[in-house]
Amino acid sequence: MNPSIVGVGTSAFGRFPTARIESLAHTAIVEALDDAALRPGDIDAAYVGSVFGPAGIANRVLAGVGLAGIPVYRIEAACASGTVALHEAQRAVRTGMHRRVLAVGVEQLSVVFDGPIVPEPTDPEGRSGLALPALYALQANRYLAEHGLDPAVLAHIAVKNKFAGSMNERAHLSGAPPSVEQVLASRPIAGPLTLLQCCPMTDGAAAVIVGDGTEGGVPILASSFVSGPAWESGSDEPWSMRTVSAAASAVWEASGRGPDDVDVAEMHDAFTIGEILTTEALGLAEPGMAGRLAAEGVTALGGRLPINPSGGLLSRGHPLGATGLAQAAELVWQLRSQSGRRQVDGARTALLETMGGGAAGVDGNACVVALLGGDR
Amino acid sequence: MPSVTVEPADPRPLVDGDVVVGSRCTGCTRPDAWQRERCPACLGVCVSERFGPGGIVWSSADVHLAVGHREPPFTLAQVDLDDGPRVLVTVRPTGEVPPGTRVRIVGTDDGDVVVES
Ligand SMILES: [Zn+2]
Repeated sequence: MNPSIVGVGTSAFGRFPTARIESLAHTAIVEALDDAALRPGDIDAAYVGSVFGPAGIANRVLAGVGLAGIPVYRIEAACASGTVALHEAQRAVRTGMHRRVLAVGVEQLSVVFDGPIVPEPTDPEGRSGLALPALYALQANRYLAEHGLDPAVLAHIAVKNKFAGSMNERAHLSGAPPSVEQVLASRPIAGPLTLLQCCPMTDGAAAVIVGDGTEGGVPILASSFVSGPAWESGSDEPWSMRTVSAAASAVWEASGRGPDDVDVAEMHDAFTIGEILTTEALGLAEPGMAGRLAAEGVTALGGRLPINPSGGLLSRGHPLGATGLAQAAELVWQLRSQSGRRQVDGARTALLETMGGGAAGVDGNACVVALLGGDR
Repeated sequence: MPSVTVEPADPRPLVDGDVVVGSRCTGCTRPDAWQRERCPACLGVCVSERFGPGGIVWSSADVHLAVGHREPPFTLAQVDLDDGPRVLVTVRPTGEVPPGTRVRIVGTDDGDVVVES
């Protein structure tokens, strides 16, 4: 079977501490079902991505929209939880196990953390103070030193994505985009990363329904899922790059396509340096060049290869378990020409990437890369 | 939320004076910052080995957030100990040091491995 995405939906993204977490997911699932013109009885199984969602949340969410009784799997893969859910959903269809599968991600960070995510105290690096912005700041300083670059290259990513996000009414931060100077002058968080280079703490949900290709939809040409190998002494590439490249290589091989075939991409920009490293690891830019491509508008809306036309995690926010499916929803809207002012003209092939990390000693907990669309 | 009074085991590397008490695989020779019985790479038998005090900074970054007991700013670094493992350390005095800088372990602060350049 050749899996395709037949329906997508999301909640609004923002801070909703007084909402019930189920209601966030229900908004997304109902939109996806309506989008696919399907009823709950048409869905054969569900994969639910959530990192900090409470125990039992997958079943509670599904029971509230007529989906109790089907096989349900909860997935935790850090920031890539929703994308792993999508990967498993498409795999279940591709292998003939199920005909229509729901992938849904939900997170309500506002009721779990007062400020940024508290590093996991049972993890050696978490216990040593490695907050997530610090993990990325270490990579940023290494990358800037390696390529002899100025921290301003990072700021261009924030400006670009917040410009796109200012046209996304579902985004958490959709206000007027800042200038490079404003990004650099915002509050320092870690290393060269300032506040406007960090994604906000966001609540929200997203849902994708995968069908078997017999009912139309946006084809999933290929999808790959890689858990990071050991990252330790002697690993010279910044954290996450080997894992992203491995996942990308598998997608190019399975699809017979390559970086030149990509018209639009959504990728993991939890921090500005994340988009830079990922763009290069995916083969969409030469080493050291991703920041310059953003500054020159190549990866901006209207450029040759728009990256994060939704505004990315930097604008939409990062409800961990929902993020990958919100990225997928954006790409489906782009491929259907439903993205309004953010529309990438002529987008036919779209690349999706999400990186989840945080466990000490591994080059990322999980990375999923998927290629969607593909009409030539 | 469950209510517990037990502190989880401290997962940070064990420091004795100015060295990390880790281990090395007798099979593939991989060094490790923890006292492993079996090698994470090849499951070979590991023997205790002390690493440091010297090492080279892979990268460092100032952190401007309070994390646990640490008041901002503080500086973290990934350091490749000489012929040893990569460890996450706190840099003193606070301030970023470029990749390639030689540092020495000088002890611990509330369990964090501390280096000076
Ligand atoms: Zn070994």
